[in-house]
Amino acid sequence: MSGVNLSRREFLRSSGVLGGGLVIGFGVTGCGSDPISPALEPLSNALTPNAFLQLTADNEFIFYCPRGEVGQGVTTALATLFGEELDVPPSHFVIREAGPHPDYGNPEFGGVQSVGGSTSVKAHYLPMRQVGADVRALILAAASKDLGIPAAELDTSDGFVSAAGEAYPYGRFIETAMNLPMPVDTPLTPSADFKYIGKSFPRVDALSKATGTAVYGIDVEVEGMEHAVVVRSPVARGSLLDFDETEALKAPGVRTVVRISNGVAVVADSFWHAKNAAPLIVANWDSPELAALDDVSLRAKYQNALDEVDGDSVHQYGELDTAWSETAQRISREYWAPYLAHAPLEPLNAIVHVKNNSAEVWAATQGPQLARRVVARTLDLEDSQVTFHSLQAGGSFGRRLVSSQVKEATEISRQTGTPIKLQWSREDDIRSGWFRPASLMRIEAGADEQGNLTAWIAKRVGGNAFAARFETALPGVLPKGVPDSVIDFVSGTAEWVFDGLRVDDTSIEGLGDDYVKAAQDIQHVTVADGLPLLFWRSVGHSYTAFAKESAIDELAHESAIDPVEFRLKNVGEDHRMRRVIEEAGEHYRSMQQDGASVGLAAHSSFHTRVAQVAAVSVEDGRIRVNRVVCVVDCGRAVNPDGVRAQMEGGIVFGLGAALYSNATLANGEIKESNFHDFQVARMGDAPDIEVIIIDSDEPPTGAGEPGVPPIAPAVANAIFAATGDRLRSLPLSTALRNSNVARASTDPSPGAVAERFA
Amino acid sequence: MTSFSLNGLKITAESSPDTPLLWVVRDELKLKGSKYGCGAGLCGACTMLIDGVATRTCILPLAAVEDKEVVTIEGLGTPANPHPLQKAWVEHNVPQCGYCQSGQIMSAAGLLQANPNPSEAEVTKAMEGNICRCGCYGRIKDAVLTAASSSTAQPIVVDPKEVVAP
Repeated sequence: MSGVNLSRREFLRSSGVLGGGLVIGFGVTGCGSDPISPALEPLSNALTPNAFLQLTADNEFIFYCPRGEVGQGVTTALATLFGEELDVPPSHFVIREAGPHPDYGNPEFGGVQSVGGSTSVKAHYLPMRQVGADVRALILAAASKDLGIPAAELDTSDGFVSAAGEAYPYGRFIETAMNLPMPVDTPLTPSADFKYIGKSFPRVDALSKATGTAVYGIDVEVEGMEHAVVVRSPVARGSLLDFDETEALKAPGVRTVVRISNGVAVVADSFWHAKNAAPLIVANWDSPELAALDDVSLRAKYQNALDEVDGDSVHQYGELDTAWSETAQRISREYWAPYLAHAPLEPLNAIVHVKNNSAEVWAATQGPQLARRVVARTLDLEDSQVTFHSLQAGGSFGRRLVSSQVKEATEISRQTGTPIKLQWSREDDIRSGWFRPASLMRIEAGADEQGNLTAWIAKRVGGNAFAARFETALPGVLPKGVPDSVIDFVSGTAEWVFDGLRVDDTSIEGLGDDYVKAAQDIQHVTVADGLPLLFWRSVGHSYTAFAKESAIDELAHESAIDPVEFRLKNVGEDHRMRRVIEEAGEHYRSMQQDGASVGLAAHSSFHTRVAQVAAVSVEDGRIRVNRVVCVVDCGRAVNPDGVRAQMEGGIVFGLGAALYSNATLANGEIKESNFHDFQVARMGDAPDIEVIIIDSDEPPTGAGEPGVPPIAPAVANAIFAATGDRLRSLPLSTALRNSNVARASTDPSPGAVAERFA
Repeated sequence: MTSFSLNGLKITAESSPDTPLLWVVRDELKLKGSKYGCGAGLCGACTMLIDGVATRTCILPLAAVEDKEVVTIEGLGTPANPHPLQKAWVEHNVPQCGYCQSGQIMSAAGLLQANPNPSEAEVTKAMEGNICRCGCYGRIKDAVLTAASSSTAQPIVVDPKEVVAP
């Protein structure tokens, strides 16, 4: 770094206020490698000790949250960690979504700035607190100097320094603090003294979201902006042959029609006008292989792969032959999980303004740094030429890891020269998006006379969502940058990057976990249909838990052993898993004694253990889940009510998928289009939910996803208790209908459903 | 030109009369609290009160509200002066992503106007048209019942001075 013309920010960095590596575990910033986040708004009189905080003379604390808020409560959780050590109540922070910058890297993702994998609280538990502790120490040092009182005689409370009976706002000391060295490795608060961690309190964004004042991507307006809707291939990845825009151009409000790499964009003066004109585009597409598939041929293809294709052994231990020889009870069962859309309630959108040698972007994504790179790569610009404004998202569930909408808007704006607000419709979202991979799984399992698991062979057939987890895919990629192949994946153009991939670890995660066997073999057969695939809340666990926990239940019944006892007998040394099963098991028994039809499932994911008990009734062909008890061990719960909310939400989200959701194919096109036929849970489906959090001093683990996996098998196991019918295919409502136990009669046309809910 | 009352303020909107009210309110009148979720009356994110009745406005043409009273989430209460329903939403820590909550709250407001003391089953029935993908239904139900029990069941009176002027 040169020594001339330093901005104050750079001066602070070089003079040590920022410290060399900024913060343990955060980023790998080299001196001057990147300007500070564009999300850090210029403030004339504020202390900016690092990329996370601006402290004004008026004692306003502006917190730049390094992980994106998609509803999971990460802003509240990280403000809690930061505030605990800074000694500022979480509710006092003004919270901003951080723009792209290396300092906001996720330590769990090799420094890539991305939210996902239920990593945020686990990854930031110590680093975020360390930032807060060091800043508090800086303020104390400045206060000591200004007040002429030894630092040891000062204390803090709620953003004030207290000394000799007086309280001074932190903001009073910022001028002095700017010229002091940044303390490092300040001791953290002992857990016994926590003021905020472990306490439940309101989300920092509850009031804005209850009053309609929270701003999402869809709410942003930019001077001179035009609205675009894209017509895409009805069969995923079909190429545009030709199109006729004559009629669309005559429609009200339409300004122009432009061709982009994956379709035709209608540009108009409003979304409404663009959306109305889009169907007037006459487009011809080629037919990818996917166009030959429908639901029947899809299942036949998967069945053939399961029966005829040798799987790759992914995880194997023990001697299977010996294990089978000691087996008294043996099952072989097959389980199906369909393709699923994510369907966040805010459909995808982005505003991109391509200018001369620069671009400006407004978007909600799970990885702003990656999305910015998408724009830069599309336009052949440097990252630093792209200004990126991050916004909170109206849900994501994995969907916003891919930023194809940002690429589309970039391509359109490059041609129009105007700021383009691209809005996906709900139909676009259901039919043209990225999908949770479908899976056909077979589990062959055995138990000996005492109910000890002997052999476990699990084979999964389906597509791979990604080459590998980020932490293994991207070792040490920063600060040089993320590989182009990953950017192509994020921009939605590069499934082909992974051609030849045999198995993605997330494809089989959880299939052989949680129980100890004498011998085990987890096998995989990759079947690619051509639908774009993506992580979906809880990823592989979203289907492997259904197979694993159904099979365990089946084997317990075949062995005539209580399913709770059977699990406890085989859970091995994992005392945390044992504990959640024991606790849930007590509820299982008491609910059973009360006459309920109950099922239990337990599954660990994202380092968190969860066991759930579901009580169901089946009447007139309709599955009704009346009550769910959820026992979770996620280490220390930073915000217990936040953990409860994530468990409740995970259960309801997972329940909608378990009962109803299904993305099906006809001639390669997704048949469903909106919430009348892609059905999700509604209030009447939501059970009474009791969440029990195991008290723990262990470091925190994930909460956003682990509530999802157990609910489908818990409900399926309860349906068995209620009806004697084993449903091995998701969604369960369809499986129940097909099993002839009962017959549902719902008219799923949009008009009928809208009328029902008007 | 279509005239109606928006959050207590007389409005004349210039959008074509077949434009759904949602887009008129969001794009022409610049009140962004009401959301687009499905465009087909299936998810409830766009819900507003039309003459006191909770209505899906993504499929309601502007012409249909001529001379009627429209209340949006902005008209119900503000961060400085929240409606009892909004207070209950905060008290129960309801929102996650929050995108559906404007519509949820307006459906609840419509319910309480018509039925000040709903049973749990009546709440569920009234709220069945509002999708929450984050799965906050239990808390939504609790918040509605809390608001209902806190003597809030008066007609909704909007003070236009408090609402962001269109």
